[in-house]
Amino acid sequence: MDSKKLMNFSLTVGEVMLKNGAETYRVEDTINRILKTSNYKGIESFVTPTGIFATLEDEDRDHMTFIRRVNNRDINLYRIELANAISRDYCNRSITLNDAYDSILKAAHVPTYSKGFIVISVGLAAGLFAIVLGGSVYDAFVTFVAGLVLGLFQVTMQHLGVSKFFIDIIGSFMTSWVALFFIHALDFGTSLDLIIISSIMPLVPGVAITNAVRDTIHGDLVSGASRILDAFIIAASIAAGVGIALSIFNSIYGGILL
Amino acid sequence: MMIQVFAAYFVTIFFAIIFKTSKNQLLISGFVGAVGWWGYLMVIHYDYSIVTGSFIGAFLVSLLANLFSKIRKSPVTIFQIPGIIPLVPGMGMYKTLYAVIEEDYNLVAKQLFETLQIAGSIAVAMMLIFSLSTLIEQHISKKA
Repeated sequence: MDSKKLMNFSLTVGEVMLKNGAETYRVEDTINRILKTSNYKGIESFVTPTGIFATLEDEDRDHMTFIRRVNNRDINLYRIELANAISRDYCNRSITLNDAYDSILKAAHVPTYSKGFIVISVGLAAGLFAIVLGGSVYDAFVTFVAGLVLGLFQVTMQHLGVSKFFIDIIGSFMTSWVALFFIHALDFGTSLDLIIISSIMPLVPGVAITNAVRDTIHGDLVSGASRILDAFIIAASIAAGVGIALSIFNSIYGGILL
Repeated sequence: MMIQVFAAYFVTIFFAIIFKTSKNQLLISGFVGAVGWWGYLMVIHYDYSIVTGSFIGAFLVSLLANLFSKIRKSPVTIFQIPGIIPLVPGMGMYKTLYAVIEEDYNLVAKQLFETLQIAGSIAVAMMLIFSLSTLIEQHISKKA
């Protein structure tokens, strides 16, 4: 068996999973399972949210250690699912290494939903969230509009490759401004805080929090800590965006918001 | 209340789309989220605190996510991440921020602490289910 190719395959699977929001221990587990199909005795892998290290060792052969740096993390659960299925098929020996390698390269760029559909989903997710929190239909409508604005901004900026930090600040600023506009200029909608909360929900670091907890429980403290930092920075930038919008409004129109 | 649960179903589905879950998993993700939110609302309805509600909600979400991941042979995260979203303490985060702007630091401390409690209870619920599922898995693999 070509162990270099196997190593490359395992790291690519790991990279696809890590880039798209899988938990650290799952990535390590997957890499180990793939590497176990080799005839090397020692297998180690070490994964952090920003890089993957894996090594194969044996007494009478040279060690082999590969490092893969991971940038640009995003969330794409479909690709995680695909990578999971490919590695399972490979470990069951139902596909060959070459086929598996080809399909993981394909899975890394597999298209999912169209951009327009994502924008509408962000709008609807935010709008319906107002209902979930017990808001009226008017609140839901305002939130839907704010969500559409946010979705459009998010998708465009992601396309341009702007940092997530910037998207979160400006995005939450824009949604708050839309909410303030509807409530105070058009006198439409009832609860300002409910509208703002619902419309920033698509930005909230749910994935970072979930993965931080899962990694920490599993003893991957480095990953857990860095994901908690990630979640904290996202939360802080959302808060900054909303805070700036409210303060500007306050200083122009003076006091009383709710 | 049923309207809220129904809305939670669709909210979870749209969040699952934002997180790019594949089409054939969407309906299940929605179900997981709706049951979690139903559990949360029931607990609140019987006059228990938001913290308890979030715990029960996250517990149900994690339980179902683990169950469905076994049935559908796909990673737990696919169901858990969208499902947990309605429970994330966005309200607490906003209220904390608002108190900061109002410069009412007693309120800041109160809100911040409550938000952390909610986040903590969600984390504990996830940990419990995670540990349980690992135990059960080990039990099954020993038998096999």
